[in-house]
Amino acid sequence: MEYKAPVEAYTGVVREITIGKANKSLKIGGENILPFHFFDQGSNPNPAKFVLEILDMKPEDWPDYLIEPFGDAVSDPVAWAKKCQDFAVDAVSLFLMSTDPAVKDSPADRAAALAKQVAEAINVPLIVYGSGDEVKDVAVLSKVAEVCDGMNLLIGPVLKENYEAVGKAILDHGHTAIAQSPLDINLLKELNVKLSKFFPSERIVIDPLSSALGYGMEYSFSLIERVKQIGIMTKDSMTMMPIIANLGGECWKTKQAKENKKQGLLWEGVTAMSLLLAGANIVVLRHPETLKLIKETIQAR
Amino acid sequence: MIIIGENIHVIAKAVSVAIRERDANVIRELAKAQTEARANYIDLNVGPMKKDPEENMQWLVGTVQEVTSLPLSIDTMNPVAMEAGLKACKKRPLLNSASGKTDSKERMLPLAKKYNCDVVISVMTDRGMPPDVDSKIESIMDTVTHANELGIANEDIWVDPIVLPVSTAGEGQRFTVANLEFIKILEDVLPGVKSTVGLSNVSNGVPNELRPLLNCVYLAMLARNGLYSAIADPLDKELMSLMRGEMPKEVELVHKTMDGEDVNLSDLSPKQVHYVKTAKVLMGQTLYSDAWLES
Repeated sequence: MEYKAPVEAYTGVVREITIGKANKSLKIGGENILPFHFFDQGSNPNPAKFVLEILDMKPEDWPDYLIEPFGDAVSDPVAWAKKCQDFAVDAVSLFLMSTDPAVKDSPADRAAALAKQVAEAINVPLIVYGSGDEVKDVAVLSKVAEVCDGMNLLIGPVLKENYEAVGKAILDHGHTAIAQSPLDINLLKELNVKLSKFFPSERIVIDPLSSALGYGMEYSFSLIERVKQIGIMTKDSMTMMPIIANLGGECWKTKQAKENKKQGLLWEGVTAMSLLLAGANIVVLRHPETLKLIKETIQAR
Repeated sequence: MIIIGENIHVIAKAVSVAIRERDANVIRELAKAQTEARANYIDLNVGPMKKDPEENMQWLVGTVQEVTSLPLSIDTMNPVAMEAGLKACKKRPLLNSASGKTDSKERMLPLAKKYNCDVVISVMTDRGMPPDVDSKIESIMDTVTHANELGIANEDIWVDPIVLPVSTAGEGQRFTVANLEFIKILEDVLPGVKSTVGLSNVSNGVPNELRPLLNCVYLAMLARNGLYSAIADPLDKELMSLMRGEMPKEVELVHKTMDGEDVNLSDLSPKQVHYVKTAKVLMGQTLYSDAWLES
């Protein structure tokens, strides 16, 4: 008897979300198949997107081989963001690290002005991540949203502790939100339910928190996989959002990545590839060579 | 549905203090209230009872029996306290509980035979908690066979599949579904055995105001699948009324949801909508979150 491979068809569709505006825009999500299940019925109209992360301050503890691709540009975020474009990025992610009260506690105004400068200087959409301090981020992210009014940046993290204030600013000024929860599918859904009461679900991207290889990656993997399955297979409206895996920073702070270049690239690469296989729609990386490696790996399938 | 009143348990500070200080009034009131609320048994959950197990247990059983004629469920993992409790009971008690653990087989199960009482046997074994329906069935068959060899009849055995919180990330809903399945097939694999669950554990970790709803809906679901009894809160008026058959519409909606029917929510009262949404969560049809009623 001839073997016939089973073909699955699912009813859930991940919401297709556009970030950025006009010629600087990018579509993410929109798939109705599980990650890389090209053999099933359905499609992924917007394959995985690749983003490089920059900081709003000169990196202090990065190994030389992570700084090297950008050269002197790392001391100027605008130049750094422009430099990222040499590496075929789909977007740039600006991490407002210096605003963290535990780092430099730099003011919201400055961060917002910088976000605008960076967004205007590049030809791809901008993602902005606050420090993750739930109190400070209310001031910082609200200001970023206001100063960059109408640019449709992807802004986060929106947390259960500050979603009302931060969500409102993101909504009022025409941006897209990153809803972040701490590696727990029930909390993830709860945040989406609460946020969706006043914020359109069509403008929410899920950040389930990404952990690096050897530092809990399997938790992130299982969670992303589950969110994707529940969205696509059981059509749960509150998980049918694209997923962002913000993993570069997690990988490059490991002892292993700091030991030598090859190990660092592979640490970031294996983490990225794993989370893409789990179902991430966007990966945020730090090293351009990792980006190239993973892109080529996927294209070679 | 046989309701085993859960309110005398040492996790409640008032109860542990009352036992320690021999404050009979606190215990009497709890026993009276549960009796008036029409519980069928009173559970005395004293935990491991490391200090003076015999004296404490005798006092507690005696105090409760002063105000109620209901049979008691003696709930402790300490065999010494257990024996003292069983000995002091006027009515045929329930030994709560034994399991497939070696310890329990050697020291608890023989007490059920010695005092000719009913016995709760959980699916737990030396390997821990069996993870799925098949392994639960396998474990309980082993332990029940062992109990039969000791001379305990199936009719005296109340099987406990062990209920775990539905809110446990990723796992909880798998557990609630597995236990529904377990209760459904239990009668076929072990004819004559009864069953029981620690109901309130299903809502552990859930915001307090939402716990009764989960308890009620899960009990309605388990009842449909043939559950014989539950250790639960008889002071929960809705739960008791549900079990007396006074909420047929809600029960019908729960059954429809269990059968995968698409229930039209727009025709329903807010309470009925809550029952349907909760049943969906407990069936694993929608993903749990603390905001399950809001989406």
